[in-house]
Formats: sequence, structure tokens, C-alpha cells
Amino acid sequence: MSDFDIKNIAKLASINLSAEEQEKLTNDLSIILEHVQALSSLELDTNIEDVFIHPLEKELKLVEDIEIDSLTHEEALSNAPESKDGKFVVPPSME
Amino acid sequence: MNLKPTIGIETHIELNTNTKMFCRCKVVDTDEPNISLCPTCIGLPGALPVPNGKAIEYITLLSLATGCTITRKGMFHRKNYFYPDLPKNYQISQFDLPVGESGELEIILDGKKESVEIERVHMEEDTGKSTHSGTGRIDSATSTALDFNRSGVPLVEIVTKPVIQSAKEAVAYIEELRQLSIDLNISEGKLEKGNLRFDANISVAPSDSNELGTKVEIKNMNSLKSLERAIDFEISRQTKAFLDGEEIIQETRHWDEAKELTSSMRSKEGSADYRYFSDPDLPNMILSEMFIEDIKNNLPKLPSEKRNDLMNTGLDLQQANILGKSDTWIIELYFKVFDSTKEYSTTYNWITGELQGQMRKLDMNFPPEWFSAEVLSEIIGLIKENKISFTSGKTILSEVLQKNISVDEIASNHDLYQENNEEKIVELVKNVINDSEDVVRRIKEGEDKLVGFLVGQVIKNSGGSVNPGIAKELLTKELDL
Repeated sequence: MSDFDIKNIAKLASINLSAEEQEKLTNDLSIILEHVQALSSLELDTNIEDVFIHPLEKELKLVEDIEIDSLTHEEALSNAPESKDGKFVVPPSME
Repeated sequence: MNLKPTIGIETHIELNTNTKMFCRCKVVDTDEPNISLCPTCIGLPGALPVPNGKAIEYITLLSLATGCTITRKGMFHRKNYFYPDLPKNYQISQFDLPVGESGELEIILDGKKESVEIERVHMEEDTGKSTHSGTGRIDSATSTALDFNRSGVPLVEIVTKPVIQSAKEAVAYIEELRQLSIDLNISEGKLEKGNLRFDANISVAPSDSNELGTKVEIKNMNSLKSLERAIDFEISRQTKAFLDGEEIIQETRHWDEAKELTSSMRSKEGSADYRYFSDPDLPNMILSEMFIEDIKNNLPKLPSEKRNDLMNTGLDLQQANILGKSDTWIIELYFKVFDSTKEYSTTYNWITGELQGQMRKLDMNFPPEWFSAEVLSEIIGLIKENKISFTSGKTILSEVLQKNISVDEIASNHDLYQENNEEKIVELVKNVINDSEDVVRRIKEGEDKLVGFLVGQVIKNSGGSVNPGIAKELLTKELDL
């Protein structure tokens, strides 16, 4: 059984799902979640100080605050499907 | 039923680094769109972020200045959501391990020191700017145009605990935070340019309740005035809804400056909806003890310390707070003039009132190079010694701001030095008394106010060179009052 709302997940992922797709994905996701449930049977050390949470053990390198050449304006816009007055133009979008 | 409002503020501070947060594109302040972009800040596939060391230094500085505990082993997370101004479809931010946690900021509210608890200080990146074109109303736009110059500019987000109780307190908090970011030299702190942007989380609950009400987030407040109005409006709206038994919905509301009201934008996404996860492109961020100590040792004077220094000269908290939020040259001028005159109140009034007022009239941002603390000290000294009147002091100040000429020269040229020779003044006083028999009789009959008329006559006959206080004193004596 699922305890998630497939419609909300589809909305967050910005995809449209048909009724059949919703049903199929609900089943698939439920199976995946059941598998993942196995993890909760593990005893995990939750002390952040002791556990390195990031999968990579490498340490982050920082760079100096000095600019380097960027793309030209023309290069930046060259792949834009539409542009106007130097701006990228996309379908209307607002919240 | 008595209700109490509770407010938490989220502030975004745009850092004044040369380059962006995760790439080395220059941070530009221009209307020319899309001129400072690279594959990283426009989210092209395969581009990798590398954090700006300066930005990390600045956020550590701010965290330390607000008394936060620094997270030594930190990391970056992806905050996922779709919006065209965010080309990667996620914002690099920090989730459970912010750079700073559990601090506080001293603020001045109604002439008293208060403290606002800080929950967290974390690092993130700014988005691009969208403009919606169409027939006017935002929801009837036909297209959205995007400028990504701002995309990836380093942003520090500072979140308070829900401890603020009024709109006025929220304003005092932002004023203090703004001053702090300027004093730390990590941001321009210009609200009108969006260097500081704030959202407010507001709820109301019965006064005797230990639980907070449902919180509503208010966005789009661009000035301190709109912050104050929006919070006041929202508290009234929620109070009315609560008393009417209506349910308060957890949502984001938009402040409409023109209509002076908040309206619903969207139902609020919960934290889980952002599907935060550690950014695999960015390994753990370790801040070494040495890095933190270095920053700690180089902390500049904080606004609260500046206020204390100013209060040590004699100013009250309110005056120290106003002066402390002035430009550095004004504060330095105050200390120099105070050192020489030892008159804290007079110096404060001359600098915050006369000097800045006259400079505004003359459209000056800085006084001319020949204007110094000595000049102002001299003017204040001459007034104190009754050598010139207060009005003459103002005249001298105005002239010295416009011409490179000494105080003494101006006073002499305009005959501003007052007559302090008592014999001469007594003679003037006697002459006035002899010439004003009728007025003198009325004064003797009880019309005390007419003394002022005689003072005026004495000053007039002296050509303005007599100090009114001395003239009045001698008149009173001569008239046996």
C-alpha cells in the first residue's frame, strides 16, 4: 500500500501523468519504497560529528574571488529557443 | 480573548564579493542583461560548482558577529524546485548543517536594548531575474523574459527564531542587521538595490497559549516601510480571522504595496517537497580551527560596540544608536570634535542636525576637504564662550562648507563677533531704557514679556553684536526686576 500522493509527486516533478500511468507508477513506487524500508532495520549512528554524511570523503576546495572570462553575451544566448532585448524568453510562468 | 502575534524573519543578504558563489563570473550591477554568465551559473549540463572562498569567509564573519556556533563540518544541499529563473532546477543551499547556528543580535527598540535570537545563518546562491510581459496584470502575462546576471550571486540567509513581537521590532532588527553587514563590509546593504531582502513568517495565538498559531509567510516587502505595514496588516487580518472562527491557512502571501494588503500567492510547500539532498558535486566543507580563529581575530568593531563607545562620551542609547548607524566619517568627526570640546550633546546636535542638514541643502555627500573637526570645534567653542551667537555659528558653518576660508575670517568679515565688553553693553542698555519710557512703565506694571522687546532693541542698536542672554541679564539688573 502506498502512503504517498502520486499526483503531488507528479506536480513537484512537473510532469503530466495519465490515469493509467498514475496507477502503474503508484505500484512501482510502492515496491521501491518497500525495498528502501529495509534500511530502517539497520542500527545507524546518528551523531553527525562522528558520521561523515557526504558520500565523498574528499574535502571541499575553495577558489579565490578573482573573475575569469565568462561566455560572451552572444554565446550565452546562442542556444536560447527565443530571446528578446538580450533576455531569454520562456513561456509565461509565475506563482 | 487576547491574542499575541509572533514573527520570524528570513533575510537574504547579497554579499559584495567580486565573483559569484560557485563560478568565477563577475558580479555585475547593470541593466544590461546576460553579460556575466558561464555554463555553471546558467545550469548547462556537466558544469561543476566550486565555492568562492571569500563568500565562505564573509558568512563565517557574519556568523561569528552574531554569536553563532560555527559548523566545522558542513556541506551543501540541493533544494529542488522548478522555476525559470533557476536554470538548474535546484538551488544550491544548506539544509541541516548551516555555517552558523544559535546566535543573537542586539537591537534597539523604544530606546532600550533587546536581543533577537538567530536560529541559523546559511550560504546559498541567488536566482536570475524574471520580467513578465503582457497586458499589465501579472497573471495575464504572455511571456517571461530572463536575465541571469544575478544567477549564482552569493546570498547569506539569516533566519530568526519566532521571537519578534511587533512590526516595529522587525524593523529595528532589519536596521541592525543592515548596519552589521555594512560594518563587517560584507554587503553594500542597500535595500533599494535588493542587497537585503526579507520575508516574514507571522502567526497569532491566544496570549496564554504556549503553542504558536499557523504561520503565514509574507513576501515582496521592498522597504522598511512596507515591512512594517505588511506585518501590521497581516496581524490584523489573522486576528480578525481567528476571532471570527475562520481557519488560518498555511500559505505564502504577497504584499501589495499599492493596495496596502496581503493576498494569497500559493499554498506553501513543505520542506519535504523541496527534496533536499546533499549535493554530490560539492564534498564536505571543513572549516579549520585556524580559519575560524583568523576571522575571529579580525572582527571589526560591531554596531553594539560602537554604540557603547558613543555612550561612554555621555550620549544616551537613542542618540548612540542614531549616530552609530551613520557613515564612518560622521562617527569619526563626532569623536574628534568631542575630544576637543568635551560637549557631547552640543557636538551631537551640531553634527546630526546643522551639519548634515546644511550638507543636504547643498547636495553634498561628503564635506569639502578643508572642512575638519577643528573647524567645527572652533565654531562650537566660540558659541560656548559667547563670542558669537548660535545663529552666527550656523552662518559660519554654511559658508565654510562652501568656501575654503577660516572661521575667524568669516566672523570678522560679517561682523559676527559679539560685544562682550560689559561697560559698552550697559551703555547700550541705558540708552534703550531712556528711549522707551512707555515700555519701561508697562514692564514695571507687570508686563514682563516686554523685556524681550527691549532685548531686541539692544541687539538692534548694537548691530547684532550683543549676546541676547547678556543683554537680558543687564536689562533686568538696570530695571531692578
